[in-house]
Amino acid sequence: MKIQFSIIWLGVLFSIGKNYAQLDSIQKLDEVILTDVKLSDFSDGYKQQKLKDSVLLITSNTLTDILRFTSPIYFKEQGSGMVSSVSFRGTNASQTAVIWNGISINSVLTGQTDFNTLLPQGYDDVRIRFGGGSVQYGSGAVGGSVHLTNNIQFKKTNKQTLTVGYGSYDLLKSSFKSIFANQNSYLDVGIAFDHSDNDFTILKTGTKNNNGSYVRLSSFLNTGITYKNQTISFYTNYYYGNKNLASSLTTVSKDGYTDKNTRALLQHTYSASKWKATTRLAHLYEQYAYFPDTEKPLFFSGNAQTYIGSLNFNYHLSKKIKLNVLNEINYIKAGGTNIKRANRKTWASVLIWNHRLSKKLKYGINLRKEFLNNFKNPLLLAFDAAYLFTKKSSLFFNVSKNYRVPTFNDLYWLEGGNPNLQPETSYQGEIGTTFTYNNIGFGITTYYIKSKNLIKWVPQSNGIWQPLNISETKNYGGEFTLNYRKKIGDTHVLDGAIQYGFTKAIDLEKNKQLIYVPTHKVTGNITYTYKKIGALFQILKNGRVYTTTDNKESLAGYWVLNSQINYTIFKKQLLGLRVSNMLNTYYENVAFRPMANRNFQLFLNLTI
Amino acid sequence: MKQIKKIGYLVLFAFFFIGCDKETTVPQEEETTQEEGTTPRGAYDLGILITNEGPFQTGSGSVSYISEDYQTVNQNIYNAVNGENLGNIVQSMSFYGDLAYIVVNNSNRIVVVNRYTFEKIAVIESDLEQPRYLTIVNNKGYVSNWGDPFIDTDDFIAVIDLDTNIVTQSIPVDFGPEKMVVASQKLYVAHQGGFGFNNKISVINTINNVLTTTITVGDVPNSLTVFGDDLLVLCGGKPAWADSETAGSLVAVDLTTNTISQSLDFPTITDHPTSMSRENSDMYYVLNNNVYKMDIAAGVLPQNPIITNVSFYAMTIHNQKLYGTDAGDFQSNGFLNVYDLSTNALLENLEVGIIPNGVYFNEQE
Repeated sequence: MKIQFSIIWLGVLFSIGKNYAQLDSIQKLDEVILTDVKLSDFSDGYKQQKLKDSVLLITSNTLTDILRFTSPIYFKEQGSGMVSSVSFRGTNASQTAVIWNGISINSVLTGQTDFNTLLPQGYDDVRIRFGGGSVQYGSGAVGGSVHLTNNIQFKKTNKQTLTVGYGSYDLLKSSFKSIFANQNSYLDVGIAFDHSDNDFTILKTGTKNNNGSYVRLSSFLNTGITYKNQTISFYTNYYYGNKNLASSLTTVSKDGYTDKNTRALLQHTYSASKWKATTRLAHLYEQYAYFPDTEKPLFFSGNAQTYIGSLNFNYHLSKKIKLNVLNEINYIKAGGTNIKRANRKTWASVLIWNHRLSKKLKYGINLRKEFLNNFKNPLLLAFDAAYLFTKKSSLFFNVSKNYRVPTFNDLYWLEGGNPNLQPETSYQGEIGTTFTYNNIGFGITTYYIKSKNLIKWVPQSNGIWQPLNISETKNYGGEFTLNYRKKIGDTHVLDGAIQYGFTKAIDLEKNKQLIYVPTHKVTGNITYTYKKIGALFQILKNGRVYTTTDNKESLAGYWVLNSQINYTIFKKQLLGLRVSNMLNTYYENVAFRPMANRNFQLFLNLTI
Repeated sequence: MKQIKKIGYLVLFAFFFIGCDKETTVPQEEETTQEEGTTPRGAYDLGILITNEGPFQTGSGSVSYISEDYQTVNQNIYNAVNGENLGNIVQSMSFYGDLAYIVVNNSNRIVVVNRYTFEKIAVIESDLEQPRYLTIVNNKGYVSNWGDPFIDTDDFIAVIDLDTNIVTQSIPVDFGPEKMVVASQKLYVAHQGGFGFNNKISVINTINNVLTTTITVGDVPNSLTVFGDDLLVLCGGKPAWADSETAGSLVAVDLTTNTISQSLDFPTITDHPTSMSRENSDMYYVLNNNVYKMDIAAGVLPQNPIITNVSFYAMTIHNQKLYGTDAGDFQSNGFLNVYDLSTNALLENLEVGIIPNGVYFNEQE
């Protein structure tokens, strides 16, 4: 087991050297097809975090489980396994972009992604990019973005992996993945599935968690071929989820929810010595159905189709200057039981300039302008820079203007939708530093975000709730990271990472902290490996959150501890046990919605 | 320093409390049949009770207590006395003798408490589905129920035997029953229409619990009052987001014939009056964030409001005072605004619970 998460500050420490070493021979980079070039090449002045622990990918049910315990991002889960919305640096759930192979997959209906619908087994690389990224990734990348990437690698491989897990509350999960690849072609195909009755005994009341069961299925296929200077790759991902919506402490619920997503991306790349052209076509489909009573046929549904076509041109003006020009057309149509059928066209032009002034200093300038759609589209700007003091210490800095367009629900919801809404906008700045000393890595960053025209649903005099661009917030805070790695002899490896996030998110009208944004969040992960044995210990301290906008009611903070142990049998086969919420802590993440007690999961991972 | 200051405030309040009591006793209160030397029957006797729905989706509603002189406000009194929550969405409350019946909509229950001490006495949970309001006739509680809010054909009035707290009968009615009033042994049920819109009044004979007739009134009847030989029904009309918007109306139903005797239509299609409350022959309602007062005998809708620019979620007139609740952003504590109707001036603005939806008076009967 490697360290769960290592903080990397791109453009700093290792990547400056790496990027420029490869500058002259860009065409050879294509051993791995890049789908998210902006993340790897144009985010120097931004903090990034990459998930490295492969065992966590096996034992975590969803991306919520992983990120909750390993990052400063806060998740608001409507009970264990239920809808999980995100708050990144105190921003709202629509202000975190989820990027799948370079494409934003946030729902066009709700503007957000339910992190409990992302099964980690379907992705090869999970990364967090902190701070504003709207220029590069479009609407929603305000607090930050989470990047899910599938790696297509032209390297001879023939690998089959099967994972099975069984645990408390009839948890049953399984995933399978096959990879076939050689020097010029690649194919992976796989499926992941999990189900739980989720009927834990609520420690506070002694009754069982009612109506909480869920089934999730995700399948994926990624393939590519390369010939001379060209590569063609194709990525697909399908998700189906069917969950009941658990009762709260004061209600008995009978409702349920199904959702389906399909994602497909076709990418063609042509590389020359100084430039590279990438053409992309993508289609996203999302569909939901809400059943007020799962035993009755009545339901309310909605769906949306998104078509994306883009041409990206990446040019090396000189050894020191990289230029990226992207033009993207986006067409969305959506509708549903409560959503007026509507469509939106957007043309986006993006210009990214990246300049290495010296061996120590790099900066980037990004511009984005959108056309065609019905909004007053602001010109988005971003500037970032990274300075290397020594090989082991650095400073990074970024400022950006970001935005979030209104969702189709906001615009076209029947009974209130407001077609006159404008995008939410925000300005932000961040400065951070990082250094390493022997085995210790240390990082600290501080940010400020000012947002206006935030969309909020408010009751009108005629009794209708309507979304309006009325709210303003300021967010400020800091993140602190400490990593430690120690090898003792050849057999013992100790890895540790601690993160602390301090988040103030203030509603400027009321001058109060936003609800469900903890001021303090601490995560700690320690792994220890000795020969064939691996052990992981996770700790989460979630601070108090307010549940009313006047900050008069709140939910107490809580500590949650997890541990897992695994043993390697034969050469690659892994057998292990995970204990979540070891201390059997009673806690609520959303008021009156209890979270799971201590629970166990036995897992087996077979690789041929 | 801070603590001394706090104690200082307490002392100040104590003095204020005593000092004010004599001075601010309004004539109307003297008229009430307050017996001399009566001791309060509990901590919450002789005061105002506010039902608060509580936050959307999750959480619990609550009841706030405000003393008669407005000097003491206690939040969440049911929880303070009983150490538990009422449940999700406290919809309404009804008094009967020493008891209060608190209807908790989304938790499908009615909590019975002593109205003066707020000690829990019983919980009625069986045979209710989305209960809304409770009205008492002949020692029986009549509870309007939506049933499954997405099904229009399963709405009913549950009849509770108040000696046993058991639902003894269920009377099917048209969809979306809400508020009810009683006149000469007949129960009149207004059908606002739940999540949709309706325009009916059901008439139930409480002697045999048979639905005798259904009267069609204006769209979305939201409040009822009996005045003389008439039942007055304020209909809000269909809102802007309905298929076709309709103006509100004030309908008078003759109680002997159960037919409409008079109907006054509001002039504009965007007029959606709510929260009718009557005291003697004066009727008050809210329209477009203004409060109007109408002399019922005049039979004409008033032209000019008496109080403007309010944001009321519920309104009640009591002893020449107007009590309006403001739910604010619906995600934090709301407020009770008290106006003196002799001057139409704001007397008090008191913080209550989340989404206050009803004002009730614990006083001598």
